[in-house]
Amino acid sequence: MELKILFGILISTIFINNYVLSQILGLCPFLGVSKKLDSALGMGLAVIFVMSLASFFTFLLYKYILLPNDIVYLRTVSFILIIAALVQLVEMIIEKLSPALYQSLGIFLPLITTNCAILGVALLNINSGFVTAELGLLKSIVQGFGGGVGFTLALLLMAGIRERLETADMPENIKGLPITFITAGLLALAFLGFSGMKV
Amino acid sequence: MNYLSEFTKGIWKKNPILVLGIGLCPTLAVTTSVSNAFWMSIAAAFVLTCSNIVISLIKKIVPSHVRIPIFITVIATFVTIVELLLNAFQPAVYKSLGIFIPLIVVNCIILGRAEEFASKNGVLASILDALGMAIGFALTLFVLAFVRESLGANKLFGFTIIPGMEPSSAMIIAPGAFFTLGLMLWGMNKINSRKK
Amino acid sequence: MSAGIIKPSLILTVTAFVAAFALSHVNKITAPAIARQTADREREALSVVLPGFAAGNEKTDGSGDNAFRYWEGEKNVDDAAVKAYAFITSSPGYSGDVKSMVGVDSEGKILGIYIIEQSETPGLGARAAEIASSRTIWDIGKILSGKLKEEKTHPWFQRQFAGLSAGEKIKIEKAGDWTPAKEQALLEKNAITAITGATITGRAVIAGIEKGYERLRYVLGREAAQ
Repeated sequence: MELKILFGILISTIFINNYVLSQILGLCPFLGVSKKLDSALGMGLAVIFVMSLASFFTFLLYKYILLPNDIVYLRTVSFILIIAALVQLVEMIIEKLSPALYQSLGIFLPLITTNCAILGVALLNINSGFVTAELGLLKSIVQGFGGGVGFTLALLLMAGIRERLETADMPENIKGLPITFITAGLLALAFLGFSGMKV
Repeated sequence: MNYLSEFTKGIWKKNPILVLGIGLCPTLAVTTSVSNAFWMSIAAAFVLTCSNIVISLIKKIVPSHVRIPIFITVIATFVTIVELLLNAFQPAVYKSLGIFIPLIVVNCIILGRAEEFASKNGVLASILDALGMAIGFALTLFVLAFVRESLGANKLFGFTIIPGMEPSSAMIIAPGAFFTLGLMLWGMNKINSRKK
Repeated sequence: MSAGIIKPSLILTVTAFVAAFALSHVNKITAPAIARQTADREREALSVVLPGFAAGNEKTDGSGDNAFRYWEGEKNVDDAAVKAYAFITSSPGYSGDVKSMVGVDSEGKILGIYIIEQSETPGLGARAAEIASSRTIWDIGKILSGKLKEEKTHPWFQRQFAGLSAGEKIKIEKAGDWTPAKEQALLEKNAITAITGATITGRAVIAGIEKGYERLRYVLGREAAQ
């Protein structure tokens, strides 16, 4: 039974309520890193990792420290600091494991901190009522993981299309950001097909 | 230091959304109505100005390698203040903007200006920079919201425009947001290239 | 390197403390206003879902996640005391829970519903809270000068629930927005008309009503047995 619920959360966050294409979160890195497939994949994996861990830590912090001590208003400050620390950690790990990836991601790696999708999923976990639900921690982690996978999926689709667009013929003024947004709009339109799906 | 240009650059030449390409997340999400765009602009302007002031004041005592966490803490504090004030005195707006209020803290505009400008310039210049950026942000939001609310919900500020007409809901949801912004950017590029 | 860590960490900690201190003060100032709103909304909801009834004391069954809040209302009709009940229920909608207060009479007929909280998509699901306004943007002159005052009516989506039976399955018809002309046909079918493009929100409200009504009957049955 629980497995079905968790699977439902996964499908929902990856397809039906895709963070980038439905909920319009995580746009800055989405536009910045989606130019090439390999850096897109690297960014995606980093985001999945940070989102899952962030869900884990922020949930525990909220449930066991903020709520009982009635300092819920510190939620924004504490969540973002946890995320900043996690991103710092991920930076160090990537620098050690794959200096090439570290170079190609460049400034976008520390910018993961300002990825609204990460703070977004931490807040959404709370708003979804997971704090008082059964298996809340697990549900939050799954939602975080799914959010990251959905983000990566959108990123990869976008990167694939943009690589092709590089060599396509189009008016000078539409090159760059305008055509990127219009493409994103078409992707979002496609993903609309998932909405209303009952899992 | 040309104070006037520090103020006006945020409106067109270095418009945060259309030129610098930052602060996109809230842009597309809150422009579903002019009212939302209005309140988000006010909230963002408050946070941007206050954090620019504070960061400009403490820039000398902030050690370089912890500057980002400290900037984030300052920004997050002002965001929380806005959250609490809106929840207490404008509950309808608070519910309408939802998680995008706390998400102001990761609005790249605010951290971006703190890092690029306020940490390197005086308080007065930082205030002007903040206000200019905030106005540029607000104007862009307003244009987007105007288009989306009127075409997507047949309303402006909650008031119906053409009674009885069924609007095109596609404008209200994500695809409409992307398309509108894409077309706006295309238009801007055209204007800019004609100027050259 | 170690000296390079202590000073920055110290400054970071001090900043964090200053921040927390400032925030706790702002919180103290705004907390009473925030708390008052929930109470105000619920009072308004009670007056809508139990029209004409004197809403009695609030009772809670169960606790924590399983808590069920309900009210008993009474009014005099032809010298006889008529009872009605209101309860708060919530069910997942498209983006988050939809929380409503529902009023039913002793036969399970819905007297009214009031959506207390929802965060559905504006323009789609959020239209569940939309009030049909006769004012248009062209009346802006009249509105600003105060000549065209709006009467605060209840959202059409919520009004159509009044008169339906909570004990039977409430159906959804996709027939465009509600109009007074459709009222009779819908009542006979025990149905509501959905918001165009936002059936999920409608289903959530119905699910909430069914869930809440079942719980109410269980709780009232237990009370009667005691």
